[in-house]
Amino acid sequence: MDKQNDTMIKTIIDRYPKKDSAVMPVMQYLQKKNNNRLDDRAVETAAKAIGCSKGKIYGIATYYTMFNTQPVGKYHLQVDTCVPGFLQGADEILAHLEKKLGIKTGETTKDGMFTLSAVQDLGSCATGPVIQVNDRYFENMTVKKTDVLIDALKSGKEPENDPSMTVVSKCNILLNDRTKKDCRTLAFYKGNGGYQSLKKALSMKPDEIVAEVKEAGIRGRGGAGFPAGTKWTFLPKNDSRPVYLICNADEGEPGTFKDRQIMEFNPHLLVEGIAISSFALNAKKSFIYIRGEFDWIADILEAAIEEAKKDGQLNHVDIVVHRGGGSYVCGDETAQIESLEGKRGNPRVKPPFPANFGLYGCPTVVNNVETLSCVPYVIQNGAAAFQKIGVTNNFGPKIFGVSGHVNKPGIFEYPMGTPLKEILEAAGGVKGKMKGVIVGGLSVAILTAKEAEGLNMDYDSCNKAGTALGSGGIMVVNDTVSIPELALRTIEFYHHESCGQCVPCREGSLVIEHKLRDIVEGRGKMEDIDLILHLTKNIKGLTLCPTGEAFAVPIQAMVSKFRPEFEALVKK
Amino acid sequence: MDKKIFIDGREFAIDGTKTVLEIARENGIYIPSLCYLKKLGPASMCRVCVVEVDGIRNLQTSCSLMPTDGMKITTGSPRVIEARKMVVNLLLANGNHNCLICERNGDCELQEAAYNLGIDIPAFVVPEREEKDESAAFIIRDGNKCIQCGRCVEACNRMVVNEVLEMGNRGGHTHVICDNDLPMGASSCVQCGECVQACPVGALYEKKGVGKGRPWEIRKVRTTCPYCGVGCQQELHLKGDQIVRIKGVEGAQPNDGHLCVKGRYGYDFIYSKERLTTPLIKKNGKFEEASWDEALDLVANKFKQIIKESGPDAIAGVSCARSINEDSFYMQKLFRAAIGTNNIDHCART
Amino acid sequence: MTNSFGEFENAKLFFLIGTNMTEAHPVASYYVKRAKLKGAKIIVADPRNQALAKKADIFAQIKVGSDVAFLNGIMNVLINENLYDKKFVEENTEGFEELKATVLKYTPEKAAEISGVSADKIREIARTMAAIKPGMLCYTLGITEHTCGKNNVMSTSNLQILLGNMGMPSAGVNPLRGQNNVQGACDMGALPNVYPGYQAVTDPKNKEKFQKAWGVNNLSDKVGLMIPDMMASLPSKKVRAFYIFGENLARTDPNITHVEHELESAEFLVCNDIFQTETTRFADVIFPAAAWCEDDGTFTSSERRVNRVRKIKDAPGQAMPNWWIFKQLAKRFGHEWPSNSGQEIWDNELSQLAPAYGGIKFNRIEHDGLQWPCPNEEHPGTVFLHKDGKFTRGKGLLKGIEWTPPAEVADAEYPLVLSTGRRLFHYHTRTQTGRSGLDLILKEETADISAADAAKLGVKHGEYVKVSSRRGAVKVRAKVTDEIPEGLVWMSFHFSEGNANWLCNNVFDPETKTAEYKACAVRIDKI
Ligand SMILES: Cc1cc2nc3c(=O)[nH]c(=O)nc-3n(C[C@H](O)[C@H](O)[C@H](O)COP(=O)(O)O)c2cc1C
Ligand code: SF4
Ligand code: SF4
Ligand code: SF4
Ligand code: SF4
Ligand code: FES
Repeated sequence: MDKQNDTMIKTIIDRYPKKDSAVMPVMQYLQKKNNNRLDDRAVETAAKAIGCSKGKIYGIATYYTMFNTQPVGKYHLQVDTCVPGFLQGADEILAHLEKKLGIKTGETTKDGMFTLSAVQDLGSCATGPVIQVNDRYFENMTVKKTDVLIDALKSGKEPENDPSMTVVSKCNILLNDRTKKDCRTLAFYKGNGGYQSLKKALSMKPDEIVAEVKEAGIRGRGGAGFPAGTKWTFLPKNDSRPVYLICNADEGEPGTFKDRQIMEFNPHLLVEGIAISSFALNAKKSFIYIRGEFDWIADILEAAIEEAKKDGQLNHVDIVVHRGGGSYVCGDETAQIESLEGKRGNPRVKPPFPANFGLYGCPTVVNNVETLSCVPYVIQNGAAAFQKIGVTNNFGPKIFGVSGHVNKPGIFEYPMGTPLKEILEAAGGVKGKMKGVIVGGLSVAILTAKEAEGLNMDYDSCNKAGTALGSGGIMVVNDTVSIPELALRTIEFYHHESCGQCVPCREGSLVIEHKLRDIVEGRGKMEDIDLILHLTKNIKGLTLCPTGEAFAVPIQAMVSKFRPEFEALVKK
Repeated sequence: MDKKIFIDGREFAIDGTKTVLEIARENGIYIPSLCYLKKLGPASMCRVCVVEVDGIRNLQTSCSLMPTDGMKITTGSPRVIEARKMVVNLLLANGNHNCLICERNGDCELQEAAYNLGIDIPAFVVPEREEKDESAAFIIRDGNKCIQCGRCVEACNRMVVNEVLEMGNRGGHTHVICDNDLPMGASSCVQCGECVQACPVGALYEKKGVGKGRPWEIRKVRTTCPYCGVGCQQELHLKGDQIVRIKGVEGAQPNDGHLCVKGRYGYDFIYSKERLTTPLIKKNGKFEEASWDEALDLVANKFKQIIKESGPDAIAGVSCARSINEDSFYMQKLFRAAIGTNNIDHCART
Repeated sequence: MTNSFGEFENAKLFFLIGTNMTEAHPVASYYVKRAKLKGAKIIVADPRNQALAKKADIFAQIKVGSDVAFLNGIMNVLINENLYDKKFVEENTEGFEELKATVLKYTPEKAAEISGVSADKIREIARTMAAIKPGMLCYTLGITEHTCGKNNVMSTSNLQILLGNMGMPSAGVNPLRGQNNVQGACDMGALPNVYPGYQAVTDPKNKEKFQKAWGVNNLSDKVGLMIPDMMASLPSKKVRAFYIFGENLARTDPNITHVEHELESAEFLVCNDIFQTETTRFADVIFPAAAWCEDDGTFTSSERRVNRVRKIKDAPGQAMPNWWIFKQLAKRFGHEWPSNSGQEIWDNELSQLAPAYGGIKFNRIEHDGLQWPCPNEEHPGTVFLHKDGKFTRGKGLLKGIEWTPPAEVADAEYPLVLSTGRRLFHYHTRTQTGRSGLDLILKEETADISAADAAKLGVKHGEYVKVSSRRGAVKVRAKVTDEIPEGLVWMSFHFSEGNANWLCNNVFDPETKTAEYKACAVRIDKI
């Protein structure tokens, strides 16, 4: 066993340019080997393997949510109660599980079979409620299906997951036909012209590729909308240090579940995008940093990379799939770099920017999955063809995820600039009466139904409407929802996810959470509402990374746009 | 042309080596700071040192801000003050900052910031979170006073490289841990006290100093550690003639503020009740107290007698490798000049 | 030390042999670890896999007492592979051919056989040291406390000279002094062969100089006795009166049974101390002395830095400064010494007599101390010695040195090797640390042994065992640790009972008279 451990650990370490980077994979491996638990012995083994202190391992283990330093049951049931889950009735499932198992959330059944937890966003927003059992997802859960699941688990079986949802692709660039059984294979991908673009790219000069991508004006799909080509040109010229490309597959923003659609069903598109981009940037080693909860998707990616490698597509670059450990903030590019270096995922102060001082202090580009997945199309068809899709300054296809109160939640690949109305119609229309809509993931300002009228879904239009396109995660809120409760869920997420480095975010989110809970639970005072607004106003722009803003903005919007609802609770 | 910046309208030359905070401090402009410790460099975590810079939208942390030519900086605008107040208020709200009974009262960077910002009672209070850790021999940790500035963690890992402290958990639960969250006394901590010296507040303090003296009663005396041959420079904190605590002298050669457990905590022996207080002469196998003259005369006479009978080389002496140079100098002078022998040595090789 | 602590952090390479800084010189170890964080390479040669060994890039776990052979092996590679600094050797040294002749006999294979470090590792060390320059060599008592201590010391200097690692920052041969003021006590002439400032007592010029300064005409030009010879002369009454200032010889010297016998047989024993100790028991007269913090003066650290020591309180009761006691005794011999404080002694006497301190005055060392040589008051002090390869004696001396084994080696009756030293939480015989609360952390001695030996002996961690040598026996708990290789036992001399010196061998280096604290044969029995 120890021998086997040693060889496995060595294999893991060998994947990385620096030993420290292997720390999380080693911990993940040890935890899996050890009944889903990272006990003191495992901590010590990891510390020895990496050559660091126990404190460092423990600090990492407790930073990321997926490491269990305390014992958990054989089946760890994790119900996503974050905003999308909340909108789809996750609370009911959780309550049912408490009753059925006879334990409270956070407890383990006496027989050690089940541990029940409420967790934050799992990236299954249109297929909620979702229960994650150890590292498997069970989506579209109902009370009845929950009973079936528990009974099956009790008898040592695992039922099939049902991830079904509406899938519409108007562009057919990023999404493929997932109804085909072999949709993830190399053969299928190549059959549809896959890897032709890479072939073309390899015959071009790297600078030409960069120029083409810049010309196409692909705006970063990770949320900020920064033009990818421009970012690429920030890499220093004539620098002797290696360049790294990191594909950001952390997909942690509540309401967002787009990247996983590409990775799970069309993995070769991403692999090809990374292969082309790595060639363009002269990156010999690239990483896909995927959120740890998407373990099975990471397996799919690894298989695809293996296939592509065997097919001789990846002679110029080594792509490593790196699983995160459960942390939203690690979606931030500098936190992601820290995490990949084997540390707690605390964002770095900028400047210096990753282009100059990124992974291991080397020039680094971080791009989102969807961004990189646009690259093959651009190279194959040219920047002009890309620009034909979408609207001025906002080109190309965009995957929108629609969740919350619509009749047919799902994912929709539409051109940039498509009216919100059209997308919502494709999603079966609003269930009940719309109270508001969050159009770009949880970190953007909510729009009232009125404000949302006539909105087009592109970066510039959303900005003009006082919100942001963000990740394109659309959450519809109907009039059954209490906005104060929505606000509480929102701040719970950010307080849970705050890395804890800086005071305004760490302590500010705590105070806001307390005050919102007071209000929701009827203990609030009128001053509390003003205090929340005072805090959100000052937190904006004061934090080390954008996370502070990511909750200050939506909370401020909810409180100020729906203030009467808050006041009503206080007066009661 | 010389490069310059403007802080609150005052002009300062810059040479590209100093941050805005450093320039301001050197020129008597007060900017509060909490996570910044000179020898660790900026951490940019507490956000209390923010200033407003013309042309930049967000407030900037002055501890990490390298000025560029012509930069115009405002340190006390209403926006800056409001942000700073919020930061300090948040910290006061989420911990037990009962200054009355805190060992660092009067020598606390949080208290100083609060005082300067005119904050009296925290605007919002959230309950306490942690218990005190008194398990270690010399250091007490009070998590409720901890502001998670990370200075102790950095000091333990980057200054003394003992790699004991880390931050555990995250977000609002972030707290300092020893090893895998053991009580400090059960951890691999060697009680060097580097973390205590780095802490800006009363979250880490010396057990031995508790109740022994307030900062304003303290007299400070620089001296040299009496233990090993590194020769660390100590700053004794005294109330009367009682050592309340010992700190390393920052910026001093050779130790720049660092000490080890012996140098920092090994001082009580001078106050021991077992100290010898009178000359002793052995009579019939028992020590009896004697006057100085009696004892000195006895020794001198015996020595003289032996010199007379057996010559000066029948006397030998061992000096002390722990005592001051001046003592050794006088002892060898006694042996050479007064007694007339070179039979003088010390534990030169241990 | 030829060089300074301040140069540690920027060093590129450390060669640490026989030094466990983490425990004996903790603050120095911080700087080594920081250098490592900045990319420095660390080579550790030590019988114990101690904390810095665990952090080392190359760790050579040498057998106790094999240092000369091991170092010769490294030099063999340097010479054979033409890796040594030819220019430096030609221009600044003499004796190379002699060194070469000796060293060539110590092939890596032969050195490996003696030291237990593989020939490949010896080659790797030599090549690493040749590739990364300059390198800093540091040692402590692991080098000196052997019957071949002086040879060990000379071998370390051979190595650094051969590499040209002399006379520049972050280089040199750096013995870290065990006690706070060993350096100072040497500098002050508390040595039988030299006056203050290393001026030989045998040189008539020096005698004349000191006679004049001290107003006497009876200075002896005969080199005096060293401690072991003094002690050995007690039973025979060759030495009739013995004056011990501050040292607890009854516990710090090897073979306690023997030492106590010697002290007991002293005709007249005088002690200055701050406490009753195991040694003062034998005294006829004890003078109560001022302690640290009770007198103004100076210590000189390992890096030759003269630092101020300050008074914060009076000594208790009638206790007086030690210099005052010596002065009163001198008075009874008819000598009126003028100085009445540490400052007067230093400024008006010592610094006038020892040229290397000529420029050091109390007013110059109010803050940071000054490093000697500091010949005049404008001189900034000397951070590192032998600048540009200019050695004090002219040319640096290389000398061929043969390895000799320790005086007592393991055998069937005493199958284990005992090595001794200091632990982090205590200092010497605990007269100070034992009264400062450090017992809270470490309250008794242990015999540190390997898991392999523990298993062989059937002993568990924490169980009491009997450790015995040809000279005595102690009962201590066993501490089973991965720091210790099979065949080795490690102990300290901090505790009166369980003191390693009950066991240690009272054999000495023929020249330095340093005892072989680092090697003797013992056995362990389960009790
Ligand atoms: C708290 C936080 C979380 C983020 N999460 C993600 C994420 O899950 N996926 C992502 O692609 N970008 C995320 N980002 C944005 C990244 O920092 C970065 O801008 C992006 O990966 C760049 O890729 P792009 O230019 O292709 O969009 C996040 C940013 C912040 C501040
Ligand atoms: S804003 Fe929040 S997440 Fe970002 S660095 Fe600060 S504490 Fe961490
Ligand atoms: S006392 Fe020293 S070793 Fe212990 S935690 Fe503090 S800094 Fe680290
Ligand atoms: S204990 Fe002190 S130094 Fe450490 S994080 Fe807390 S406040 Fe900062
Ligand atoms: S503080 Fe420690 S390292 Fe420094 S001189 Fe004293 S004993 Fe030595
Ligand atoms: S002092 Fe500048 S952010 Fe803390």
